[in-house]
Amino acid sequence: MSLIFILIPLIASAILLLLRPAGLSRHLALAATLANLAATVYCLSCDYSQGMTCNFSVPWVPSAGIHFSLGMDGITLIMLVLTNLLAPLILLTSWEHKFDNEPRYYGLVLMMLAALNGVFLAQDGLVFYIFYELALIPIYFICAIWGGQDRIKVTLKFFIYTFVGSLFMLVALLWVYLQTNVNGAHSFAWADLTAVQLSPTAAHWVLVGFFLAFAVKMPVFPFHTWQPDTYVTSPTTGTMLLSGIMLKMGAYGVIRWMVPLAPEAMHTVDPLFISLAVFGILYASIIAVKQSDLKRLVAYSSIAHVGLIAAGIMAWNKPGVQGGIIQMLNHGINVVGLFFIVDLLERRLGTRSLADMGGIAKSAPKFATLFMIIVLGSVAVPLTNGFPGEFLLLNGVWTYNFWLGVLSGLTIIFGAVYMLRAYGLVVFGEARPETERFEDVNTREFLVLGIIAGLVIVLGFFPQTILGLTEASVDRILSAVQL
Amino acid sequence: MTALLILFLTAIAVLFAGLNNRSLLQPLSLIGTLLALAATGYDLFGPGFGWGAEYAAMFRFMPFANAFAGVAILATALIIALSGWGFRNLNSTLGDHYGLILFSLCGALVLFSFTNLTMLFLGIEILSIPLYVLAGSRRDDPSGNEAALKYFLMGSFATGILLFGMALVYGATASFDLATISRVIGNGDQMPGMLKVSILVLIMGLSFKVSAVPFHFWAPDVYQGSPNLITAFMATVVKTAGFAAFYRLFAIAFPGAESFWSIPVALVAALTMTVANITAIFQQDFKRMMAYSSISHAGYLLLAVLAIGTAGADKAMLFYTLTYSLATICAFGAFIVVAEQTGKSTFDAFNSLGKKQPLMAAVLALSMLSLAGIPPLAGFFGKYFLFTAAFAKYPWLIVLAVINSAISIYYYFKIVIAMYFSREEGPETAVELPAGIRWAVLVGLALIAWLTFAPESVYGLI
Repeated sequence: MSLIFILIPLIASAILLLLRPAGLSRHLALAATLANLAATVYCLSCDYSQGMTCNFSVPWVPSAGIHFSLGMDGITLIMLVLTNLLAPLILLTSWEHKFDNEPRYYGLVLMMLAALNGVFLAQDGLVFYIFYELALIPIYFICAIWGGQDRIKVTLKFFIYTFVGSLFMLVALLWVYLQTNVNGAHSFAWADLTAVQLSPTAAHWVLVGFFLAFAVKMPVFPFHTWQPDTYVTSPTTGTMLLSGIMLKMGAYGVIRWMVPLAPEAMHTVDPLFISLAVFGILYASIIAVKQSDLKRLVAYSSIAHVGLIAAGIMAWNKPGVQGGIIQMLNHGINVVGLFFIVDLLERRLGTRSLADMGGIAKSAPKFATLFMIIVLGSVAVPLTNGFPGEFLLLNGVWTYNFWLGVLSGLTIIFGAVYMLRAYGLVVFGEARPETERFEDVNTREFLVLGIIAGLVIVLGFFPQTILGLTEASVDRILSAVQL
Repeated sequence: MTALLILFLTAIAVLFAGLNNRSLLQPLSLIGTLLALAATGYDLFGPGFGWGAEYAAMFRFMPFANAFAGVAILATALIIALSGWGFRNLNSTLGDHYGLILFSLCGALVLFSFTNLTMLFLGIEILSIPLYVLAGSRRDDPSGNEAALKYFLMGSFATGILLFGMALVYGATASFDLATISRVIGNGDQMPGMLKVSILVLIMGLSFKVSAVPFHFWAPDVYQGSPNLITAFMATVVKTAGFAAFYRLFAIAFPGAESFWSIPVALVAALTMTVANITAIFQQDFKRMMAYSSISHAGYLLLAVLAIGTAGADKAMLFYTLTYSLATICAFGAFIVVAEQTGKSTFDAFNSLGKKQPLMAAVLALSMLSLAGIPPLAGFFGKYFLFTAAFAKYPWLIVLAVINSAISIYYYFKIVIAMYFSREEGPETAVELPAGIRWAVLVGLALIAWLTFAPESVYGLI
């Protein structure tokens, strides 16, 4: 079953890249993502209380202990929901946009989705690493071919930054792998890797290696410098894939790989990691308040939100991890909505500068309402989807350390400041000649924004549906891995 | 042994056939190499011929030698397949070209199987002398002459140093036989000074041959000045042979003295990868870039020599040389097409190749990604196997190697960027793809893909 999530997009991607069916490419891509969504919905009904299910394993390099093994539990399931729910929405956001060489574009998007699903499903260290890197190649090409100004420089920086980070993870992974002993041979299986008892010094370095990889990806301050430029330069679809889904690979990696593999030294490095994350929250929030470019503002807000997720997860207690997982899903939904709104504005007005907007509420009431709902979700107002996650995350950080909890609580206040300021500047105020003629959303845009706004409200009212799915798995991993 | 005989006979046949029938030469050489490949495969996978596996305590064709012979013969076969177009302008000397390439390959086979220092020396000479001629085969080209002269002077210098080292080894151990030398050294606690000097001198001589820093200065000029396909041959077959010889010598003769030689070799490896990768960043010419790239891969391959004694060191080296050779040959296949049609060998010759020749561009891009070691391509597994083999002994060196592979992305990506993201200035030059080259690079690419999905098929071979 779990192989399907990788095979469907991979086969569709191969068809697109090799056969180049010019007119049908976007339909094929959408069909593939919808098929994956259907498979995800089917998986919602599985029982995840007994550990990994839907296991699939074939030997890849048996003499080196590498097996292509996949499996899923509640945490994986939420990540699959995130990926496969957002994928069709992301494709729909740019449905009418004409890309040159469309088959190649959609082929790369699907290849990336296959790799993302692979990252979340992998149960073998090296398979995880390979998918983690494989996700990078298509997004690099997407951003560098279809991106905006300075794309070559910006994307190369992005690529080298993230690749270097994950190479350190590879070194850390190899170190743990060489300590495994399964009947005299080494093994990359998750269970074997986590069973290794590392010395505190070794565990320390292993954690640093993993942290470098995941901190660059999420990104956590001070490894975030690639992110705002890359987001601004990428085509909107690329930005959505990056911020909505790809960032979560880092947070997921912390839960599944970093802490379980080397819990021995976690308590010595944890204060540093969490402090960096919390500092990043404040830093990005303050920069976001001052931004005049809407896309950049959303990019910095994303750093702040993901910083909170990182801090909560690394606190490694139940509210923190549970909150982190649910917030990964909700942040993905919200940020895709926000970037879609930025894209709508930019395409209609030809600018992203907040100073050139205003007065849209009159000419586009539907747009303004949907925008409002998504902003509220992103600000984490109670009864929207942002609230339960951020509440649990703050609870987790608070339990870890009172002062860090207080500081990260500022993220909600700052979030309200910069999001509402941006909303006000875009929607209210004097109308300009350009904004007076602002067209309201068309049916397709209404559909996409409507689904996102609907999810904001539904998941805000019923967070328990998501929390219930992950609870058993989180309990298992927390009791298996104690700091 | 059978493969060696087949290759030798083919080479002689090609030399004579070259006198009167030009069109027969390429098929004849290709058939010869493929037969040799089949013979090697029969020895490796099948029951084997059962004769000539060992000859007068001079060679031993064990799985190690056969597997490496397979790599070198396969690489040569691909280069010969590319040569139909690559050598199209050669007339009277075409037969000599094929003959010399095949003779050189015979030398490589000797280097995979020697059990005696005499054969090491002979193997290196058989490998190198045809190449001195081939490097300068463009007689009217000054840079070709420069390349040939440099290669000859540096090569003979290195051979001299190597001979000096062998003489000292003989002085210290009274034998040329690798197993006997190893027995005399024992566990290495009573090594005479002469032996220590000889090992250092041998490291120097072999470093010259495999172009490791600081003995690499000849490589970029020689690579740039030689005809393209000869450069591809040097970068793949010669490198594989040099490293296999390095590995064999140290694994069979000097394992006892490891604590003595491992430090200088580790230093050479560290220097080689760092200097080569940093220098490669500043190159503007594809062949020079590939020269530095091949030096940097020499640095990674030295990790296998350092890992001698660890299970999997030889397997890692085998896998690495194969993936590296395939990717390099595919890259050169694409390069000769582009360079000879645009008349440029700088990176901007590749501008917008992604639009003009999507297939060629895809082959070149995948080769570059594989050389950079980006997962899940075969090159990644090569690096992975090497790094794991040496990790337990030299963690610091692996961290350095990892940083270096990250640096290498920068220059490999320059080609990818040129092909897909840069526009061509001025009028567009059309690039045609000759059929012979298309098939050769597709075979190379298929093999890279095969190694990506089933690394075990080669890794588990020896």
